[in-house]
Amino acid sequence: MSDFLIHVASIACIYGMLALALNLQAGFTGLVNFGLVALFGCGIYGAALAHALHWPLMGGVAAALGMAILLGAFLARLGKRLSSDYWGIATLSIAEVIRITVTNEKWTGGAQGISGLSLLFADLKPWDGLGRLGLFGAVLVLTYWLCQKIADSRFGLAMKLMREEPQLARALGHDVDGIRLRVMVISSIIAAASGVLYAHYLTFVGPDQLVSADTFLIWSMIIVGGIANNAGVVLGAVLMQFAMAFVPFVKDILGLPTDFVAAARLLLVGGGILIFLLVRPQGLLPERVGRRA
Amino acid sequence: MIQFLSDTLLRAADLALIAVGLSVVYSLIRFPNVAIVQYAVVGAFLAISLQSAGLGLFMAAAVAVLAVGGLALMFNVMIFERLLKADSAIALIGSLALSMVLMAVFLMVYGPIAYRLQLPVEPPFRLLGVRFTVWQLVTLGVSAAALAAFALLLHRTRLGTEMRAVATNAALAAATGIENRRIVNIVVFVSGMLAALGGITLALRGSVSIDMGTNLLLPVFASAVLGGLGNALGAIVGALVIAAAETVVTNTNLGFLVGEAVWFLPASYAPVASFVILVLFLLFRPRGLFVSEVSRV
Repeated sequence: MSDFLIHVASIACIYGMLALALNLQAGFTGLVNFGLVALFGCGIYGAALAHALHWPLMGGVAAALGMAILLGAFLARLGKRLSSDYWGIATLSIAEVIRITVTNEKWTGGAQGISGLSLLFADLKPWDGLGRLGLFGAVLVLTYWLCQKIADSRFGLAMKLMREEPQLARALGHDVDGIRLRVMVISSIIAAASGVLYAHYLTFVGPDQLVSADTFLIWSMIIVGGIANNAGVVLGAVLMQFAMAFVPFVKDILGLPTDFVAAARLLLVGGGILIFLLVRPQGLLPERVGRRA
Repeated sequence: MIQFLSDTLLRAADLALIAVGLSVVYSLIRFPNVAIVQYAVVGAFLAISLQSAGLGLFMAAAVAVLAVGGLALMFNVMIFERLLKADSAIALIGSLALSMVLMAVFLMVYGPIAYRLQLPVEPPFRLLGVRFTVWQLVTLGVSAAALAAFALLLHRTRLGTEMRAVATNAALAAATGIENRRIVNIVVFVSGMLAALGGITLALRGSVSIDMGTNLLLPVFASAVLGGLGNALGAIVGALVIAAAETVVTNTNLGFLVGEAVWFLPASYAPVASFVILVLFLLFRPRGLFVSEVSRV
């Protein structure tokens, strides 16, 4: 059981980073990105392709970050002319195009994916699980610190102004396109970094990890936890991840059919988002307004 | 060539019904309710369930269409009216969440298996050298009739005039004595009916399973954007373009590109065609093929 808890906590750390990345975009800057999983995908496939090409680990990190920065910059460019709802659908479409392409091409391993990546800290057995959890936790704390710094900075104020009053931000001389580009690139790097860690944790990378349902799971984390509150979204990530992980146990205790697991997870994500949007749109930990967070 | 036209028309007919529903609601409340593709699935499942409960095919379809209209109205009043007070992007997130909840319900009630309507088997026949089944022609006819009826409603009735007035300038429409909320409710009801009809025509030609809505989402959305979101009849043209693109991508022999005699793209690339068209349009012509009254893009 403790191995299982360590596993769920490790994955929660990864999702915590993704939630922080999405929070920079959607929470602070008002960029409604439904294609976050594609940026994460740059991370996992950067690591996987480096493995397939026998590059060293750092080569994979470089490939992952490079792809994520390019994709993030492209999405930012796309946002120049689109209002948030159009942009949201465009990002969702691009993520789907990437998933379908990855599934159908040979060099990405196709539907089988790429397996046999090196496991982090494999030689630390039996303490390797804790070692990975420690590393993921440390990276999560670092990401949290970075996101807090950004939110508290003058640049963070400009992000929030752009979210609330884009016209005013422009009128006050803020370079709105530049802010969007920088936010997208920073959060793409965070998402890709979490992807590299994930790939070297599962040691397997496949197109099933690129489904849009994952994007919505991350959305549910930031909405439940508290959009535009970094501590809130990490709390949301931990809560949602543990809730998802314990669904199969509920199924076993109640003796329900296997379909229940998939249905309950959909219900947790969709219902969680809907109920919070309707009843408590600010989330569990609301955004702190009025003072530098 | 005729084969290509018939493939395109059949696909476009399904997309158009749902895309028109999406677009006409957008014209009034300025947010794309993507859950509409799940309303189509609800319509298809309901019709199948009602038919297996003993109703005739026509009655089952009619009841399902009305029920989904009511469901769309209920969700709009309960969820989207409230979310729209915050922001249209929030309402969009809500509609994606509603889609997931509906999928969870399908999974609980129907499971992952595919269902079909019980239809008498008719031998296919040839028309202009192309093989058709009776049900393909029936769905084409139903779609065309529904779209024509909707166009008449929009352009030849007092209700349609009021709908267009609210879409163009809601405040002014209210000032002339139109009850905006009543118009929105009617339009939402009609959009649910159109979506359910689209789902049922799909069920008439094939099977229905829980991923049908997800597979419809992006082609339908691309059709609506191409036609200019909010331009209801433009969505029909958008659906034709998307359907043609999908058919071309999967049915063109690309052997000359790879140096082989016969080489086709995998069929799973069909949706990519619509996504790529969608993204290109959003980049270069976000107001769609026709410039409509949509100014906020």
